[in-house]
Amino acid sequence: MLVEVLTAVFNLQIVFFIILGVFTGICIGALPGLTATMGVALVLPLTFGMDAIPGILLLIGVYVGAIYGGSISAILLRTPGTPAAAATVLDGYEFSKRGESGRAMGISTVSSFVGGVVSVIALWLISPQLAKLALRFSAPEFFLLAVFGLSIIASISGNSLAKGVLCGALGITLSFIGIDSITGYPRFVFNNINLLSGMSFIPVMIGLFAMSQAFTTIETIFTPDQVTQKITKVWPTKSDWKVIWRQAPISGVIGTIIGIVPGAGAEIGAFVSYGQAKRTSGHPELFGTGIPDGIAAPEAGNNGVTGGALIPMLTMGVPGDAVAAILIGALTVQGLQPGPLLFTEHTMLVYSIFLGMFVANVAMLVLGLSSLKLFVKVLSVPKAILTPMIFVLCVVGSYAINTNFFDVGVMLVFGIIGYFMQKADISVSPAVLGLILGPMAESNFRRALLMSEGSYTIFLSSPIAWTFVVLTLFTLLGPIVGDMVRKKRQA
Amino acid sequence: MKKILVALLLLTLVLGAVVAQGASEASADTYPTGPVSVIVPYAAGGGTDLIARALVDVAKSNFPKNITVENRTGGGGAVGMSYGANAKADGSVITMITVELVTLPHTGTGAGLYYDQFKPIMMLNSAYSAITVKADSPYNTLTEFINAAKTKNMRVGNSGVGAIWHLAAAGLAKTAGVNFNHIPFDGAAPAITSLLGGHIDAITVSYAEVDSQVRAGNLKVLAVLAPERISATPNIPTAKELGYDVAIGTWRGFGVPKNTPQPIVDKIYSIFNEAVKNPTFVQYMANTNNIIDVLDGAEYGKKLAVDNAMFKALIDELGLKQQ
Repeated sequence: MLVEVLTAVFNLQIVFFIILGVFTGICIGALPGLTATMGVALVLPLTFGMDAIPGILLLIGVYVGAIYGGSISAILLRTPGTPAAAATVLDGYEFSKRGESGRAMGISTVSSFVGGVVSVIALWLISPQLAKLALRFSAPEFFLLAVFGLSIIASISGNSLAKGVLCGALGITLSFIGIDSITGYPRFVFNNINLLSGMSFIPVMIGLFAMSQAFTTIETIFTPDQVTQKITKVWPTKSDWKVIWRQAPISGVIGTIIGIVPGAGAEIGAFVSYGQAKRTSGHPELFGTGIPDGIAAPEAGNNGVTGGALIPMLTMGVPGDAVAAILIGALTVQGLQPGPLLFTEHTMLVYSIFLGMFVANVAMLVLGLSSLKLFVKVLSVPKAILTPMIFVLCVVGSYAINTNFFDVGVMLVFGIIGYFMQKADISVSPAVLGLILGPMAESNFRRALLMSEGSYTIFLSSPIAWTFVVLTLFTLLGPIVGDMVRKKRQA
Repeated sequence: MKKILVALLLLTLVLGAVVAQGASEASADTYPTGPVSVIVPYAAGGGTDLIARALVDVAKSNFPKNITVENRTGGGGAVGMSYGANAKADGSVITMITVELVTLPHTGTGAGLYYDQFKPIMMLNSAYSAITVKADSPYNTLTEFINAAKTKNMRVGNSGVGAIWHLAAAGLAKTAGVNFNHIPFDGAAPAITSLLGGHIDAITVSYAEVDSQVRAGNLKVLAVLAPERISATPNIPTAKELGYDVAIGTWRGFGVPKNTPQPIVDKIYSIFNEAVKNPTFVQYMANTNNIIDVLDGAEYGKKLAVDNAMFKALIDELGLKQQ
């Protein structure tokens, strides 16, 4: 088994695809506006013709690389390359102001690596156990898990809860389209054969994440991003190493836990890690002035999410974040159904993913420390060249999924919707959550009632179900109770 | 002299045109005259797609102008099959037709699809429903299971409402005169997982899909809804032997638009009838638990008509017709 996995991953072709994925990922992540989700969605069609292991590992490479790559522009340009790097801007840019951008990127690279490795170890240790537990999950448990995931919308909608909830509801509504999975009744299909199987998830994602950004970029297409800094002294100093060792493993664990929660992605992992580092620090006032802790924590935190997000994806077929949702699509195309059976019937593949993800993190470390200057150059590619390329990739990508031209239209419509959502300052993440978790909640709710022949007690019939009920109440009521307590103290 | 030359020239041209015309009218000798595409109405990488690709791969040498597999997904197969049915009737588009061709029109989600739009070329593979329970289930035979179902509402999982394994369970219930509590899942794998977790009583998906869990000792198969015992599993009885005369399963085959000339149909049949015997393909099918089950065009056409009538009756009775 071990030998088989080792030979499967350490062959030239697979290592090449992993490195290629990480390289592409870093470039995509570094470019402001191109997110990890978008990168993985655009590379996905290329994997259709590949075998399962190289295909999935190429995508995981892109994922890992992009989450890390976002820090490059966060540090240099004060613009997070991906939402996941938003927290890195706070301290990262301060380094650049002092002319220490190389040092900041060194810390970011090593911390990302540590966070990533922590999450891979967690993935390797937890998944097989959770896969066994997953057999205990039935319709009511899946329903409550989806509801718990949806409750996260409350905490990820940013400045406006109303916008977040509205946007989540939009996602859920979209998921109504198509043949109803319990009665077989076609809903909202308007006699259009293309709508029978529902909205294609990937074209919607490409539209919301990539096309919308490409539209936005047109507005500033002739304003080049300025990178004037020389990148020097990337290798961390002794005192920086100390900070990394103190901060990164803890942040990696936090990121992993957040990754496991359905729907919560890398940006939350980064912010929570940053907050935790600040709270436990002896000198919280220094955060935001450009201290190594302020880079190590969010960067380890966001890469910690990568492995964490794969845990529920592989074991239960429940995506931990938007990227994991696309990876489910990638596995399905290969004829593989994520879930507990994957661990018993495709053990080799599962362990190759674990090992390959570790290799991806090593590749990220090596590429990050050795070729940062190259990635910084990517930032100076004129948008007038880059944007048309993204347009083409969006069209090709959404067509290739089902070779159906209708999907290109879907992608364009959602590109326009996504563009106006950006203008209105509405985050698209809740919509994606709704689109993924909405149908999961709906079909499992009704399936559970079919199983129990109409009795609602089935939703409280197992300890797992109870756990999710408590967690959901905690997420929903926690902030309200916290507010009340704070007000009382002030009064 | 000049006149004769002109006349000769004209004659050659006319003759040439006639010959060329004859060629494009096409017959067994000249087919295929151009590139051929095989339409798979399901996603790349799925079971149907992989079988199509494996077979096309061994038949490639017979298509000098190239043969490609094209996935046209959507509508549970209706999109791809409709496309194939309405393609040019010259053999340049061959469609992988599946059992959904005779179920979708009756559930009202076939988008105008009907089986007689195709001229069937050959059936190449079939898979029958296997009534499967958990290994530690108290029921060891189909009869025990059915008798228990008379007093208890058995939860029987399927791969989707109106999908073939739902119809299989419904067909068995109808024949045996019992009622099942049908639980639809999104595909066979979640249904199998749910059975392994003990959340439902039985599943009716194909034997190939439960094979690995049966071998691992986690599940047991009570019977198959096949006309005769499956050669790979000679110990498993058919429902028919046990007194429940019901055989429901899925099949895959090739079809072309109904106006395609017979010589072309015959040529395609002879090419693929050779291809299914290719050791590489036979090995592939064995490795993936797929059963090669060949019917020629005429027999396949009869099967289409029989299945179409059976599923129509079953779907009407179940009240699954939408719209």
